[in-house]
Amino acid sequence: MSEHRKPEAEAPLSAQVFQILLSLLDGDMHGYALIQDIRRRTDDEVVLTASTLYAAVKRMLGVGWIEEVQPEEPPAGHDERRRYYRMTAAGRAAARAEAQRLQRLTDMAREKRLLGPLGRSPQPKGSR
Amino acid sequence: MTLAGPATPRASLTSRAFRAALRLLPSTFAPGDARELAHIYEALDAETRRTRGWPGAALTFARELPDLAHLVVREHAAAWRAERMRRRQLRRIASYQRPYSEDTSMIESLLQDVRYAARALRKNASFAAIAVATLALGIGANTAIFSVVNGVLLRPLAVRDPDRVVTVMSYSATVPPSVYGSSPANFMDLRSDTRAASQFAAFSTSPATVVGPGEPESFQAVTTVGDIFGVLGVRPLFGRTLTPNDDSPSAAAAVVLSHETWQRLYGEDRSVIGRTVTINRKPCVIVGVMPPGFRFDAAPADLWMPEQWSPEFTANRDQYYLQIVARLRPGVTVERFSAELETVATRLRTDHADFNTDLHLSATSLQETIVSAVRPRLLMLMGAVGFLLLITCVNLANLTLARASSRHGEFAVRRALGAARSRVVRQLLTESVLLATAGGIAGLAVGAVLLRAIIAAERTSLPRVDEISLDPMALGFTITVSLLAGMAVGLLPAMRASTARSMEVIRQGTRGSGAHQGARSALVVVELAVALMLLSGAGLLLRSFGRLLAVNTGFATERLLTMQMSVGGKSTQAVEQSLERIRAIPGVQAAAVTSQLPVTGRGGGAWLNIVDRPTPPNETPPAEAYRVVSPNYFATVGIQLVRGRFPTPDDRVDHGPAVVVNQALAKKYWPGEDPIGKQIMLGAPGNYLNPASPIVGVVGDTPDGGLDNPPIPTVFMPMRVAPWWPVFTYVIRTSGPPEAVTSAVRRELRAAFPTVAIRNVRTMESVLHDSVAPARLSMRLVGAFAIVALITAALGVFGVLSFVVAQRTRELGIRMALGAAPGDVRRMVIAYGGRLATAGLVIGLLGSFALTRLISKLLFGVAPTDPLTFASVSAILLGIGVLASWIPARRATRIDPIAALRSD
Repeated sequence: MSEHRKPEAEAPLSAQVFQILLSLLDGDMHGYALIQDIRRRTDDEVVLTASTLYAAVKRMLGVGWIEEVQPEEPPAGHDERRRYYRMTAAGRAAARAEAQRLQRLTDMAREKRLLGPLGRSPQPKGSR
Repeated sequence: MTLAGPATPRASLTSRAFRAALRLLPSTFAPGDARELAHIYEALDAETRRTRGWPGAALTFARELPDLAHLVVREHAAAWRAERMRRRQLRRIASYQRPYSEDTSMIESLLQDVRYAARALRKNASFAAIAVATLALGIGANTAIFSVVNGVLLRPLAVRDPDRVVTVMSYSATVPPSVYGSSPANFMDLRSDTRAASQFAAFSTSPATVVGPGEPESFQAVTTVGDIFGVLGVRPLFGRTLTPNDDSPSAAAAVVLSHETWQRLYGEDRSVIGRTVTINRKPCVIVGVMPPGFRFDAAPADLWMPEQWSPEFTANRDQYYLQIVARLRPGVTVERFSAELETVATRLRTDHADFNTDLHLSATSLQETIVSAVRPRLLMLMGAVGFLLLITCVNLANLTLARASSRHGEFAVRRALGAARSRVVRQLLTESVLLATAGGIAGLAVGAVLLRAIIAAERTSLPRVDEISLDPMALGFTITVSLLAGMAVGLLPAMRASTARSMEVIRQGTRGSGAHQGARSALVVVELAVALMLLSGAGLLLRSFGRLLAVNTGFATERLLTMQMSVGGKSTQAVEQSLERIRAIPGVQAAAVTSQLPVTGRGGGAWLNIVDRPTPPNETPPAEAYRVVSPNYFATVGIQLVRGRFPTPDDRVDHGPAVVVNQALAKKYWPGEDPIGKQIMLGAPGNYLNPASPIVGVVGDTPDGGLDNPPIPTVFMPMRVAPWWPVFTYVIRTSGPPEAVTSAVRRELRAAFPTVAIRNVRTMESVLHDSVAPARLSMRLVGAFAIVALITAALGVFGVLSFVVAQRTRELGIRMALGAAPGDVRRMVIAYGGRLATAGLVIGLLGSFALTRLISKLLFGVAPTDPLTFASVSAILLGIGVLASWIPARRATRIDPIAALRSD
């Protein structure tokens, strides 16, 4: 992947889209599983409704960051009505670009001593 | 057709609801996507149900809904954008008739209906304009009148628990009972002896001269005894209200200002509490200001002060001037209170027989007291405007029918191309809804304007004017009724139209089938009947008003200037001198003073004691009205002398001041005799207002109780005898327009009495004008409604006849081809119109005879079945019917027989 930043890469991704991409990094998932995985990972901070998930998925399908797949071996309880999604190469690139953008932001915060060197806030003197 | 497929049999309530909500998505939404969405949700639902039970599932559903709504809106917008692109490409090819597809979703087809309805109405703009205009008129008039009725009659008064507040009236059991005020001692006894009321207060009104930095100004004051604000249950804006402590004569005189008075005198300065102001030459302390919008309609006032009775006056049973209000204890009915009052009255009659002979007491709710005078008139207006609404609905129905029948061809085409019947019917109903909405919006504007006009015109004659505002309930009601009427009547022909499928109907095209002619004619007959009823009401009111204006006032009303001054307590000489100065002004022909202008009410009353007819011991003398006048009053005002002579300035006959009576009094007490020389005294025994005074003259009557009431027997006393009279009205006869001398007269009066305020500067003609204002308004309004109704009915006749002519073009063409003269054809059409008008006339007359007797209370000098009025309005209706038939008739004669035969 070239390091040349395309203009659209500067626009931040929504929290839902980024989380979906993160979940799909580990493998293909269907819709409901995505919701559960995101909840677990963010400790219930990001809770998607079915409609929001659908809208995000549709958008990502539209720009080609994810694609629909048929699973190779149907897992237990496989429901042929369920759709599975897989991240594409473009999606991977978009996720990485977003992570890098976030890192740049935390770097700025670190410069300003908002965050400690390992990402922890500096403690005031006298405290442990 | 559900996009997501049917739910499984054991699906939960929330997932079923979710699936149902999915139906809101547009038809372009892929069914597979919808299924996927439903399943994701169901999985979520099942999970939360498992872990947190049904509260969790409900929470999940609640969280889902806004996002789903968002999705729906976005999908619809996207679909709409795509559709617009597509249609742009197909514009030249796409026709107005697009085959309906059964796969459109609910919202989409509704939007489609609205679009088509708007387009159809725009194509037939004149029809739409007429419909919206008549609807707007009907809705607007209805809303305005109902708002007035609601504000005045229906809305409870702005006092706390208004059904607990009553007025207490003293009356004597004559027929009809004569109501009078209460005396101070009676009030005190009432207050202490009754248990059913928790609070009592008494009040009376008087003018108050407030001396400020500029000219002394005159305000209307209410003087009170007891806690009147407590009875009403109202709180001041700031400061305090009057308490019983203020009633003590040794307390500093307190005054409470109304909001407008405070604004006018002190410009909203909140530090006025504690300031002193001179009222009626007495220093008073301002203790409070009332909130804006507080208005006590039984006695509108600018300021409130305590009466502060001396102990002697508290025992006075001789002066009857107090009005009493009370607040009932919870649970006490007005009837029970009245019964208790009557017991007190009985005791007062026995204990103080001299003063309280024939005293009776009863209570009425305060609201009733205020509105009962005006109720008949307002109810009549509501009836009239109800008729107008009826015509509006009938009109809308008629127009809808016309549309439906002329579009049989269009519907047949649609049906042939596969549209469902329900769809076609819904299309027509949507048009009605659209019309009603447009009419409602326009009606709102019309109503607001009309209401403002009514309030401005009736400021003085309607109570509670400040509480009237445009009533949203009335607007909603009117729109709903019009809508339902239009839909109900449009439904049947729409359903009939929607079944038309045959090629025959399609070939007929816009000429349409001959259906609905009977129904439309019947509707037009209804319109004509209603128009006639309104016309007869208007006609009767018009004649009644004319009779009112034609009443002989008994004096010369033109070029008479009047103004009031509180010169009571000034010497008679000072008043006479002021009159002299006024007479010296160029342009003034004569000047005098009186205690009360003619035609403005009964004025003060007192017991009439005829010296040679003493009253038996256990009876009270009759109470009659009296006026206090300067000697040349009659000549100035132009009242005729009937017998005897006018009094002169130094009149003294047999040691008594000369008095004059009017014909009504003379006829009442000396029928067939000559009253000249008889001696009378006014007042209570031992407290007469005048020594034995001989009657020197009898003057003509003036309708003092109002133009529509009989004259009131009156005694005229010379000013000399009653120097204590507080307020006099100056009457000045001018040679030119009265306004020209107003400033000169004011100058002289101010020079003569620098500390007294001048108020109510009016010409006599404007006084009379104001006294008939209610009747005038009713007449104008009902007249306006009648004209609108007539125009609407005429348009209805016109519409039906044009329709008939268009339908029967072939038949008429054949007739003319076979030799019928154009005159015959014209006569045929006009005859049909005449039949419609006659049918409407007969029904309308029957209705009018039945209904006009309901307004007989409002008529003066005219019977409710006045033949002249009915004959005239019948002629008008028939004439309008014939006139409206004229143009269609002429069109019929212009039919080219050959072309008619050839057209298909």
